[in-house]
Amino acid sequence: MNVQFKKGVLELCVLVVLCRRDYYGYELVHTISENIDIAEGTIYPLLRRLTKEGYFTTYLRESEEGPSRKYYQITEKGQTYKEDLLQEWTHFVSSVSNLIQEEEVA
Amino acid sequence: MNKEQFLNQLKRSLSGVPETEKKDILYDYEEHFRSGMENGQKEEEIARSLGNPRVLGKSYRIGSLLDESRGGRRAANVLRAVFASLSLGFFNMIITVPVFAGLLAGLIGLWAGAVSLAVTGVAVILAVILQPLLPAFITLGGLSIPFLIFASIGISAMGLLTLIGMWKLSQWFIKITGKYVQFNLRIIKKQEARA
Repeated sequence: MNVQFKKGVLELCVLVVLCRRDYYGYELVHTISENIDIAEGTIYPLLRRLTKEGYFTTYLRESEEGPSRKYYQITEKGQTYKEDLLQEWTHFVSSVSNLIQEEEVA
Repeated sequence: MNKEQFLNQLKRSLSGVPETEKKDILYDYEEHFRSGMENGQKEEEIARSLGNPRVLGKSYRIGSLLDESRGGRRAANVLRAVFASLSLGFFNMIITVPVFAGLLAGLIGLWAGAVSLAVTGVAVILAVILQPLLPAFITLGGLSIPFLIFASIGISAMGLLTLIGMWKLSQWFIKITGKYVQFNLRIIKKQEARA
C-alpha cells in the first residue's frame, strides 16, 4: 500500500489506541504493528510530532522489570483531533465502498 | 544489525537536530530495545522491525526543520507587531493628534460662542430692568424697550439652543474619541496575540 497513505492512517491508529488508555512506546508500537504491517520505528517520529503539537503528553513511570518507561497520554486537544480524523476516515471509507459497489453493479 | 549499530546509524543521521532533542530521540529507541529484550526479542530482530535508521533520521530532520521555520515565523510576527505599533503611533502623531487638537479647539470656540449668546441675552434684559435705577451707568442706545425685550428673548433662546446642541456634539466627540482609542488598543493587542 502507498507509504504516504499508510502514514496518515497510522496517525489515526495511534490516536485511537491512546484513547483507550496510556501506553509506553514499545507497547503502543507492538499493538499497532500486530494489526498493520509497517516499519515500527516510524511510530516514534509520529509520536514526537503529535506530542509537540499538543495532542499527547508524556510522563515517566517505574516498571516492574527495572528502569522507568515513557508513557504517552492523550490530551483533550488530541481527543478532539481524533474525533475529526475518525469522521474523515469513516466518510472516506464509505465513499470508496460506494464507488466499488457501483462498479460491481455496472 | 544489533542495538549498538542501529543507534549509531540513527545518531549519525540526526546531524542538524538540536543536541537535547537528539538525546531524547535516542532515548526512545533505547527504551524500545530494552522493552523488546524484556519481552524475549533479540536485538537484531528488534532492529529489523524498527526499519532503516537512516530513513527514521530523515523524518526527524524534517520535523526539526519545520519547527525552525515555525520559530522563524514567530520572530517575524513579533517584528510585525512592533512595526504595526510604531507605524500606528507615527500615524497618530502626524494625522490624528493634529486633527484631534483642531476639532477640540473648534469645539471650545463653539462652546464660547454659545455661552456668550446666552450671556448676551440675559445682559440685555438686565440692562432694560436696571436702566431706570442706574441711568449713569447704562444707556439703551436709543433703542425701544419692546425691541430690546424681544431681542433679548431671541438671543437667549438662540444661546440656549446652541448650548443644547453643543452638549450633544461634545458627547458625540467624547464617544468617537473613546472608540478610536479602543480601535488602536485592539490593533496592538491583535498583533501581540498573533505574535
